[in-house]
This record gives sequence, C-alpha cells and structure tokens, in this order.
Amino acid sequence: MKHFTEEEMIAHYYSEGFSKAEAERHLQACPQCAQAYADLSKLLRSVPASDLPLRDSGYGAQVWQSIQRSLQPYEPKQKRRFYWPRFAYAAACLLFLAGAFRAGRMWEQAHSKPLVAGAEQQTKQRVVLFVLDSHLDRSERLLVQLNHAGGEADDVGFRLQAEAQQLLSDNQLYRQSAAQANDPLLNAALDHLERVLVEVANSGSELTSRDIASIQKEMNTPGLLFQIRVLRARVSEPKTNAHAIPKGANT
Amino acid sequence: MGNDDYMLIRSVLAGEKDAYGLLVARHSQSVFRVAFRITENEADADEVVQEAFLRGYRKLQDFDARSNFGTWIYRIAMNCALDVLNKQKSQTVVPIAQDYDSELPTVQLADRAAGPDRLLLSQEIETRRHAAMGKLTPTERVAFVMRHMEDHSTEEIAGALGIAPNSAKQAVFRAVQKLRQSLAPLWVRS
Repeated sequence: MKHFTEEEMIAHYYSEGFSKAEAERHLQACPQCAQAYADLSKLLRSVPASDLPLRDSGYGAQVWQSIQRSLQPYEPKQKRRFYWPRFAYAAACLLFLAGAFRAGRMWEQAHSKPLVAGAEQQTKQRVVLFVLDSHLDRSERLLVQLNHAGGEADDVGFRLQAEAQQLLSDNQLYRQSAAQANDPLLNAALDHLERVLVEVANSGSELTSRDIASIQKEMNTPGLLFQIRVLRARVSEPKTNAHAIPKGANT
Repeated sequence: MGNDDYMLIRSVLAGEKDAYGLLVARHSQSVFRVAFRITENEADADEVVQEAFLRGYRKLQDFDARSNFGTWIYRIAMNCALDVLNKQKSQTVVPIAQDYDSELPTVQLADRAAGPDRLLLSQEIETRRHAAMGKLTPTERVAFVMRHMEDHSTEEIAGALGIAPNSAKQAVFRAVQKLRQSLAPLWVRS
C-alpha cells in the first residue's frame, strides 16, 4: 500500500488535489497515514488567524480622508482636448487642400479655356477652310469646263449638269454660313455661283452648247471664275499659315 | 454590487473624484483584513490599505469592466503587503525570540488570551506562530494566509501572486512544513 506524502495530506486538508472519497478510504484503511493526517490537522487547526483589530464603520471614511488630497481628479475631456486640435488641424489641412485644388482648377479654367476654345475654333476654321477650298476648287473646275465647253460633245453637258447638282446643295450651305459670318465678298461670290449652278443643274435633260454659251454670257461665268480664284487664294492663305504653325505651339 | 462599483468607477473616471470615496468605504474593511493577515501589524496594515487604494485610483483607467473591483483591489492590497514585507526583510532584522523575554528587543505580541488559565499556552502558541510566520518568505506567507486564513483556492492564489498554480501549491506546502517544524514541539509538550 502506498502511503500519503505530506504534500498529498496538505492538499487533502485543504480539499484539493485528488478525490476526497478515495483519500478517506485510504485513511480508514491505513492507520499510519491516518495518524500522520491527524497530527497535521491538529497542527493546522492550532494556527488560528491572528485576531483582527476592530475597524469601525468610519474606517473607510478615514482612509479616504487620508488619501483624497493626493489624488488628482480624472479629466473626462482629456481625450477630446487631445483629439480636438488634431481634428482641427486635419480639417484645416483638408480645407486648405480643397481650396488649393479649387483655386488650381479655377486658374486652369481661367487660363486654359481660351486656349482650348481658341484651338478648337482654329481647328474648326481649318476644317471649314479646307472644305470650302475643296468646294471652290470643284466649282472652279466646273466653271473652267463650262467656259471651254462650246461646241463639244453632249456628254460634257451631261457631266457638268451632274456636277452642278452635287455642288448646288453644298453651295447653299456655304452661302448661308457666309451670310451668318458677315463675309460679304464670299457671300456674293457664292450667291453668284449658286445662280450659275442652278441654271446648269436645271437646264433640262440635255445641256447643249447653246445653253452653255447662254449661261456664259448671261451669268458672266468668266468673271465668276476670277472671283472664285481670288477667294481660293484668300482661303488658301490662312490654311497655309495654319499649317505653318509650329507643332506644340499654344498660340 | 458589482454594477454599482462599476458605475462609481465610471463616475471617478468622468472626473468625480469623490465617487472613489464610496469605493474606499465599501472595500476598506476587506482590504484591511488581508493587509493585517499578511503584515500582522496594524500600522503596516493601515499603510497597506492607503497605498492599495492610492494605487487603485491611479490604475483605475486600466480596470477591466468585466472584473470585480473587490477582487481587483484585494490583489493590489496583497502586492502592497508583499512590498511591505520585502521592505522589512531588507531592513534591520529584528530577532524573534523563541521565548518571551522583556529584556530583549524582540517582537512581542499582545496578550489576547481569554483567561488566565490559558495565558501561558496561548502566549507560547502565538509567539511560536508569529516566529514561524516570520520565517516564511513573502510569497509563502501570502500563499499560506490566502489558503489557510482567507480560504482561497490554489488558482486564486496563483492569480493574485502572478505565479503558476503548481508554484502556489508548493508555496503553501513549504509554508505548512515550516510551521510544522516550529509548532510541533509545542504539541509534543502539551
């Protein structure tokens, strides 16, 4: 039979360690362990807690009175005070950034918008000039053919009539644009051209050499040809200048 | 009680310092009890009580709302009492007499015996018990006081002392062994 160690008996005395029932059975069965446990219990029971000095109900108040002067009150708004400047600083930074961004945008709009508008306008003008130049070129060729068509075959009249019909609708748009742009020279030339194109396009099923000669005479197509060439020279000049603008230039 | 304590703690942390006075009033008796059990000296115990509540106030922001304030301040008081014991150990060692002698500068205990017939035995037991307690290390002393006098479990002792449960158990065991060595002769004589 294995006897209890002193540690096991102490644990049993304080109801710790192992099964109390098992320990009791062993103590009943083992007189040696039972005697040792009885001695230990007697000894521990003889170690009473020292008598507590009495402290009356006012003891807590006395303790509080003795320590309260050395206690600093907690500051409940300490965190707020700590965080508020940081928050304000962050907000100020954010506001400054927003203001700087806004100012930058405004400055950019104020300075770059005319440039963009100017560039757009310039680009648009280039396109208009290019298209107008093309239209005047086709019109010039038509007038040249018309001026030199006397006595030629009938198929020439047919081709001139087809070309005049195509040019007529474009010319009407250009003339209206020239009128809105307050360009009297261009407007007058296109107006003259339109009347010629109308006559050629609406000259019936066949444009005879007599019809052509009549148009040349009545509509002064040689004079119109001269006007068209002058206009082409004027239209071609800014287009050439525009092409001469260095790449990457702002103005 | 626990909720009330927590409400008071929140009030203290909100700036109402006087709310801590209510906590002191509620728990000062239990804190004094453990302080006196460990130090076995009224003046030291009073000092421990004050120090414990001072430390508790300063650490109140770290108090876990899930904990019990009574247990929390109890542990602080135990550590304060341990500090007092360690301080005393490191200072001048006062010899503890095996027998009462008015001529020797020894620690002498007040006579709290019930009657004259038990005067001698009680005085002897108290003197030897006190001497035996003086031989314990602070950890053994606290562990024994908590186990034997305050009836705390090994786990609670370990938690309070910040040691492993087995170490707490061994501390109690060593304390009992030392007490047995000091007090056994008394029982043989009686």
